[in-house]
Amino acid sequence: MKEHPDAQYYIRGIELPETEVSTDLEPWGETRVVGKPLPRVDGYERVSGTAVYPADLTLPGMLYGAILRCPHPHAMVTAVDVRRAAAMPGVRAALTAFTPLDRATRPHADMIRTQLFDPHCRFQGEAVAAVAAETAYQARDALRAIQVQYEERPFLADERKALEPGAPQVRDSGNQAGETQVYQRGDVARGFAEADVVLDQEYRNECEIHTPMELHGCVARWDGDRLTLWESTQGVYNVQMQVAATLGMPFSLVRVVGHYMGGGFGSKLQTSKYSVVAALLAKTTARPVKLVLTREETLLAVGNRPASNMRLKAGVKRDGTITAMQFWGSGASGSEPAGGVSLLDWPVRDTYTCANVRTELTDLLINAGPARPFRAPGHPQGAWALEQMMDALAEAIGMDPVALRVRNVPTVSQARGNVPYTSTGLRQCLEQGAAAFGWDAVRAEIARQGNRGTVKRGVGVAAGLWVAGGGGPPSTAVVKIFADGSVNLNMGASDIGTGTKTVMAMVVAEELGVAPDAVEIEHADTGSTQFATGSGGSKTVPTESPAVRAAAVDVKRQLLELAAEELKVEVSTLTLRDGKVVSTQDPAVTRSLTELQGLRRRRSLTGVGYRGPNPANKAVTPFAAQFCEVEVDTASGEVRVVRFVAAHDSGRVMNQLTYQNQVFGGITMGIGFGLTEERVLDVDQTGKMANLNWHDYKLPTMLDVPADMTCVPIDPKDTECNATGAKGIGEPATIPTAAAIGNAIYHATGVRVTHTPVDPLRLVAALAERGEG
Amino acid sequence: MPRPRPTADPAVITLEVNGERCAVAFAPHKTLLEVLREDLDLTGTKHGCELGECGTCTVLLDDAPVLSCLVLGLACDGRRVRTVEGMAEGARLHPLQETFADLGAAQCGYCTPGFLLTAQALLDANPRPTRDEIKAALAGNLCRCTGYLKIYEAVELAAARLRGEDAEPARETLYGRR
Amino acid sequence: MLPPFSYVRAQSLDEALAQLGASDTRISAGGSDLLGCLRDEVFTCSKVVSLSRLDALRGIRDDGRGGVRIGALTTIAAVASDPVINQRYPVLAQAARAVASPQLRHQGTLGGNLCQKPRCWYYRGEFHCSRKGGSTCYALAGENQFHCILGGQGCYIVHPSDTAPALVALDATVQIAGRGGTRRVPMARFHVSPRDDIRRETVLEAGEIVTAIDIPAAPRGLRSSYRKVRARGAWDFALAGVALALQFDGATVRAGRVVLSGAAPIPWRSEAVERVIIGQALTPEVAARAGDAAVEGAQPLKRNGYKVPLFRGVVREALLALAQ
Repeated sequence: MKEHPDAQYYIRGIELPETEVSTDLEPWGETRVVGKPLPRVDGYERVSGTAVYPADLTLPGMLYGAILRCPHPHAMVTAVDVRRAAAMPGVRAALTAFTPLDRATRPHADMIRTQLFDPHCRFQGEAVAAVAAETAYQARDALRAIQVQYEERPFLADERKALEPGAPQVRDSGNQAGETQVYQRGDVARGFAEADVVLDQEYRNECEIHTPMELHGCVARWDGDRLTLWESTQGVYNVQMQVAATLGMPFSLVRVVGHYMGGGFGSKLQTSKYSVVAALLAKTTARPVKLVLTREETLLAVGNRPASNMRLKAGVKRDGTITAMQFWGSGASGSEPAGGVSLLDWPVRDTYTCANVRTELTDLLINAGPARPFRAPGHPQGAWALEQMMDALAEAIGMDPVALRVRNVPTVSQARGNVPYTSTGLRQCLEQGAAAFGWDAVRAEIARQGNRGTVKRGVGVAAGLWVAGGGGPPSTAVVKIFADGSVNLNMGASDIGTGTKTVMAMVVAEELGVAPDAVEIEHADTGSTQFATGSGGSKTVPTESPAVRAAAVDVKRQLLELAAEELKVEVSTLTLRDGKVVSTQDPAVTRSLTELQGLRRRRSLTGVGYRGPNPANKAVTPFAAQFCEVEVDTASGEVRVVRFVAAHDSGRVMNQLTYQNQVFGGITMGIGFGLTEERVLDVDQTGKMANLNWHDYKLPTMLDVPADMTCVPIDPKDTECNATGAKGIGEPATIPTAAAIGNAIYHATGVRVTHTPVDPLRLVAALAERGEG
Repeated sequence: MPRPRPTADPAVITLEVNGERCAVAFAPHKTLLEVLREDLDLTGTKHGCELGECGTCTVLLDDAPVLSCLVLGLACDGRRVRTVEGMAEGARLHPLQETFADLGAAQCGYCTPGFLLTAQALLDANPRPTRDEIKAALAGNLCRCTGYLKIYEAVELAAARLRGEDAEPARETLYGRR
Repeated sequence: MLPPFSYVRAQSLDEALAQLGASDTRISAGGSDLLGCLRDEVFTCSKVVSLSRLDALRGIRDDGRGGVRIGALTTIAAVASDPVINQRYPVLAQAARAVASPQLRHQGTLGGNLCQKPRCWYYRGEFHCSRKGGSTCYALAGENQFHCILGGQGCYIVHPSDTAPALVALDATVQIAGRGGTRRVPMARFHVSPRDDIRRETVLEAGEIVTAIDIPAAPRGLRSSYRKVRARGAWDFALAGVALALQFDGATVRAGRVVLSGAAPIPWRSEAVERVIIGQALTPEVAARAGDAAVEGAQPLKRNGYKVPLFRGVVREALLALAQ
């Protein structure tokens, strides 16, 4: 068994510590707190305007930093003159490739190491210089006064031309990042020969950009040799390690605090250059520095879901057996190797039973900002191809699309050498989702009505699984109970808006029999918590909740031992409920936590919990099936998404509300990916981004998202995956969405648009080609 | 070539912010967003794009929802501004704030202040909005987390409470529909 | 962040006119488009003259002859919700509701909507294009999916306004004040084609201010509508739009105007469509011919060929919907 090299992309390049392992915990039966739709523990802060995000922070003497960025897609910086800028009022520092600044270098992915301000700018938006000034306005004005001499180079903006002879070279090593990766099982030639129908189709997705509502940014402050960064990040330890490595500092002297952040979706998993720049500006000036990017900078320089080109050839027998699948995928990492085809083939490899599979992935370089993991890297794209192909196969053999999928639900992870899943809810997702949607009835109704008008109705389904989402070690959590019965949870993980803090407080409350709001949480601060991996990969809950549970159980054990001694009963007869020690046998035996003499004497008890390993030779995987109904105006190419039903097996539902939040948010992001979002580069002329603003780059608004969305949680009662039974939900929720819409558009119109986003531009053109409209 | 930015002669205006009259001095080219965040220390209003494209910086100006990044501070002389900090009475949250918190309409929370104020303007004008009316009123506020559904539910529940009804969240709001 | 400028909030129209003059003095009505242009350095500006105190330029009034006068500072939201506009001129109310986003409709004014700068991403971006005094129209050989199929020459923007095509369809007139007095310009001649002058969008001279828009009385049998197709539901400009103001006599179109948005650098009156429909009942066959006529002479660029079938379909469907 060989793990997919990208399976744990969210911890790539990070050396993970080994921790102890908490002993096995019994699976929960019925829970009292976990699973309830409890409001967020930090709801007040987030609705009252009192939550302090990094950009809200003002420190005494604070300066404002700003970064000058290369306006060209490919250029050499031959000279930078900052004299004029440095002399402007309020300007306190100016850094460039030519100023000595401890020769900071920045390790990129895959061992490329460059100067912080690399004179060889390979994308529009690469950092060229930075300034710090007394006001943000002075900093911006100073940037404009910096004179840079660029020697423009030929650029490559379209990855489809990357390997053509004579294509401009993005890096000296060429325009391909690494070798083409080939995966193979069985014999596809034999599989195709066995098939009754073989279909072959090309698909393409345009590049999507994360654009969280909050801009990327941080505040850096030095206190002697110690650096503190208040950072908008998904993982404070990621930032600590990278900044320390770049600046040659011990971890102990780099403190990163990330209490509130306004969304990341993967773009804030890794450390950005600006954080190092802010630290250096603060060091140079001996003043705190706030550096917040502009919206344009976030569109250019802090990641994207790269465009992908896919071809899928698939064979099926009349009985629905998928005999072979062959997949070719290419994508664009951007200006450096950054996972341009990361996990693109995983849906094809592992979603359905198929003995003969071959995939080839080619990662290409272009002169555009590097990719970053974006909510389920590779998966929505791979599902866009696979799930539309499944519908085409079903149609070709006259089978219902849901039935064909159900026919091919796997119980083992074929791409991992046939290891069994700890739980496989895919069949239930498909069947219960179809039932909740009214799949058969609505398809019959549309068929009966004949869909004759200009506006046509259609329904579609798509399924998916998510390669990660099982979590795993390491994680260390500390729970402390005070003599007054209040509790403190200390964990390193970030709450990126998903409700991590709330879920973890519920886990503690479940074990300690206290109210969740009695649990105070200290988190996301390298100065005061234990190591945690970044919050990404849909692994935060399955990684952290078992560790938190183990820590709470450790405290519980100590409390019950104290109580057993004081009450003179067997410890095994005691448990915790409603702030009291109670007997499971004798209602008369009870003692309030605050009356426990042992606790009063000690003032507090501390428990430590560690994340144990996942079960050996098993795969932990979330599954999903989504159903949607659309109306397509064939005169205008407008698609109205009418409703969605999303059935998900992400294991135990830890909190109904935060679970629904992930599902509905994932669908909405999938609507953006499928219908509205696209980075447009001026490929034929300048290579610059054309839609470098937030109305030409179109996020879905309330008018683009149905108000009718239903979440159908499937809980397979997975007692094997980990001590809480939860698998990840954040990423699975966005994987099938676009493909379900694509299938519904086809159902409505008979036109298959294989290229996202399916906006009126593409749909009208496709309909016209077929003679509609 | 950049022109030197005048540092002297800040503009002084008087405006009413969250029910209180105040005088504030700032550089004349500053937007209302910058004046609120930097000169009045009201950082609850968030900065999203500076081009009026996301609704994150929405505040109420004379009771109408406006994008504070596209309003000059100077244009607010003598006018009334309400920000998220002015919605609660002391520590008691406005019904919209309560329902946004209770129903999960705020996730990362960054777009939330803008949504709250836009929704308040809607409910002030229309105590019983339909979903389509909510949609039309809030379509200028982007949210990248929630998928908007919980925002509808929060606005509807707050509307009911503001009408004096003893409303509780629907079961399907909390547990999903089956 | 904005560049530096001085700011004057005029107390009277005369003061505002007196303050204008220098080429980089800019008028701020609602300010929403101006501030965006200043931030993006689309043009320079040393002085901003705000009209926001000029209450006389605000409001919708009956003109006593069955028409209305809309003050230039009336917000788009006020136009959209005005009962008289909704009743007499649905095309304008619908167009106003289709503008940008709710907040921008509260901030933006009708005068400002007519005078807004193009939304071409080359013009707004850091490209020194012909309209900004450069020598290249980047759209011609570039990413021109949102550009014009009619009326382009040297510059291939589409006019971004939704209300302008509605007002052209309603045969409205723009009232303009200058230091020398006032003048009136029909909406149909208010916007300037790049064929005539690539550097300007309207006939306004430096030092002039739009003060009001006059809409004549609705003729008998007037039916009007505005249909806008866009890539997303809010904060988006027309991929294709059509403003219809047609006089019906029974089922027959007696007269009227058909004006396209998202088609050309100016609101595009389509006399070709009018010729097909006037004197006819709007049957599916007539509507289809009208759709074909809408794109007669269209010259799509490399990436906006979809607009040809799109306009065909949208014009056809809008006519059929109005006939019902």
